[in-house]
Amino acid sequence: MRHSLDLYWRLIGVQIRSQLQYRLAFFLDVVGTSLSTILTFATLAFVFQRFGNIAGWTLGEVAFLYGMVEAAFGVMDMLFSGFDPQNFGKQVRLGRMDQLLLRPVDITLQIFGSEFIMRRLGRILQGLLVLGIAIGMVEIHWTATKLIFMPVILVSLVCFFGGLFIIGATITFWTYESIEVVNIFTYGGSEMMSYPMNIYQNWLRQFFTYIIPAIFLVYYPALFLLGKPDPFKMPIFAPFLAPFVGLGVLLVAWLFWNYGLRHYQSTGT
Amino acid sequence: MRLFFELSMRSFQRQLVYRTAALAGLATNFFFGIIRIAVLVALYGTRQEVAGIPLQGAITFTGLSQATIGILSLFSWYDLMTNVYTGAISSDLLKPMSLFHYWLSHDFGRAVGQLLLRGLPMMAAYAVFFGITTPQSLWQWIAFVISLTLAWLVSFAWRFLVNLAALWIPNALGFIRFVFILSWFMSGFLMPLRYFPDWFIRVCNFTPFPYTINTVVEIYLGVLQGPEIVQAILGQIIWGVCLILVGQVVLRLGIRHLVILGG
Repeated sequence: MRHSLDLYWRLIGVQIRSQLQYRLAFFLDVVGTSLSTILTFATLAFVFQRFGNIAGWTLGEVAFLYGMVEAAFGVMDMLFSGFDPQNFGKQVRLGRMDQLLLRPVDITLQIFGSEFIMRRLGRILQGLLVLGIAIGMVEIHWTATKLIFMPVILVSLVCFFGGLFIIGATITFWTYESIEVVNIFTYGGSEMMSYPMNIYQNWLRQFFTYIIPAIFLVYYPALFLLGKPDPFKMPIFAPFLAPFVGLGVLLVAWLFWNYGLRHYQSTGT
Repeated sequence: MRLFFELSMRSFQRQLVYRTAALAGLATNFFFGIIRIAVLVALYGTRQEVAGIPLQGAITFTGLSQATIGILSLFSWYDLMTNVYTGAISSDLLKPMSLFHYWLSHDFGRAVGQLLLRGLPMMAAYAVFFGITTPQSLWQWIAFVISLTLAWLVSFAWRFLVNLAALWIPNALGFIRFVFILSWFMSGFLMPLRYFPDWFIRVCNFTPFPYTINTVVEIYLGVLQGPEIVQAILGQIIWGVCLILVGQVVLRLGIRHLVILGG
C-alpha cells in the first residue's frame, strides 16, 4: 500500500511539475476553466432576478446544489482524469494500454496516475466559492450532524462521478473509442443534479432515482440541510443514502473495470 | 472562388464520414436540451410570457441553441492554433490562397456538414417531441437564413482571431478556452440575453458575441420586427467585416516573427 502511494505520488508529481512549467499559461488556464462555473452562476443570478424562483427554490438554494456538484466534479475530474472516457478511449485505440500492461505495476494504479490535470483546481475553487455564497444566502440551522454530513456528501459525489468515469472508460475496451453517449451520464448528470429534481418529468426523475440513483447524492441531502419538505415522500432516511450510493456506484464500477480488464483485447496498433 | 468551394467540399465530406459520432453528439445535445427545457418550464411556472418570449418560444430557443453548437463550433476550435504549434502552418501558408480564405473555406464545409448532421435533425427531433414555433413569414425565414450565415461568419472571424494568439504565446490553449467560455455567457447561448438585466445586455452588445446566437434566435422567434431585423443584420455585417480586418492585421504582424522549426 505504501509502495503504491509512493508510486502514485511520483507519477503525478512529474505531471504537476511539467504543468507548472509555463506559469502564466497555467494561471490563465486555471482562470479560464474556472470562469465557466462563475459565469454559469452569474447567468443563474441574472435569470433569477427576472423569474424570482424555480419551482419554489431560491437562487441561494439552487446555487447550493450547483456549488456542491461543481466542486465535487472538479475534484473527481482531477483525480480520475486517467479514466476520462474520451482520453482513455484514445489510449486503448492507440494500443498504449498494452505498454502499461507490460509494466510490473498494478494497471489500475497506473491509469490513476497517468493523468493529473492541475487546472481543475480552478473549477474546484470556484465551485467552493459558489457553495460559500450559497450558504451565505440561505439560512441553514446548523447542527453537528449537518456539519459532519457536508464533507460526506462531497466525498460521496466524488465517488459517484468517479464511478461513472470508470464505467465509461471500461466500455471503451469493447468499443475502442469513447462513446459520446457516456457524456449524457457524466456531464449531463452533473448538469441535471445542479437543479432541484422536482422540475423534471417523472420518467427522467425515476431513471435518475432507480437506474442511476443520482437523486440521493445532492437533492435529498440538500432537502435535509436546507430543511425543505420532500415532495416525493421517500422514506425518512433517504437523505442519508448518499455515502452508500456513492461508494456503491464506485464499487460496481470497480468490479466492471476488473471484468473489462480480463476481457481486454488489444487493437493491435 | 472555385478553389474555395472545392476545399469546402472536402471538409464537408470529411464530416459525413463521422456519422455515428454525429448521432452520439445529437443524443447528448438532445439530453441537455431536455434538461434546459425542464429548467425553463419550471422558471416560467404559470407565466405565459417573459421579456417578450412566450414559453413555446423559450423551448424553441433551447432547440436552436443546441442545434447551433456544431454549426458555430461553439465549444472549441483550436485547429489553427494546433497547426501553428505543429508547424503545419508552413504548408498552409504555401497554399495558393490566403491563410484566412483557406481556413474559411474549410470551416464553411464543416459548418454545412454540422447543419445537415446535427442542426436539422435536432430541430426535427424538437419539432416532434416538444413542438417548436417557426418563423411566420417568408421574409422572416429569409432573414433567419441570412442571419445564421452571418452568425457563422462572425463566429469564424473571432475564432480565427483568437487562434492567432498562438503566434505569440507558447501555450495559447488557456486563453482561447477563456474566450470560448466568455462567448457562451455573452452570446445568449446559456440563456436568451433578453432575460438578463438591461445594463448587462448593453455590455454584451460591445462584443461580437450577441451577433452570433442571440441575433439568430431573436429573428427566428420573431422577437425582432421590421427595422430591428435590418439593424441586427447590419450589426452582424459590421462585426464580421471589422473582425476579419483586425484578423488580417494581426495575422500580418504575427507571421513576420513566425519561426518554423524544421523537423
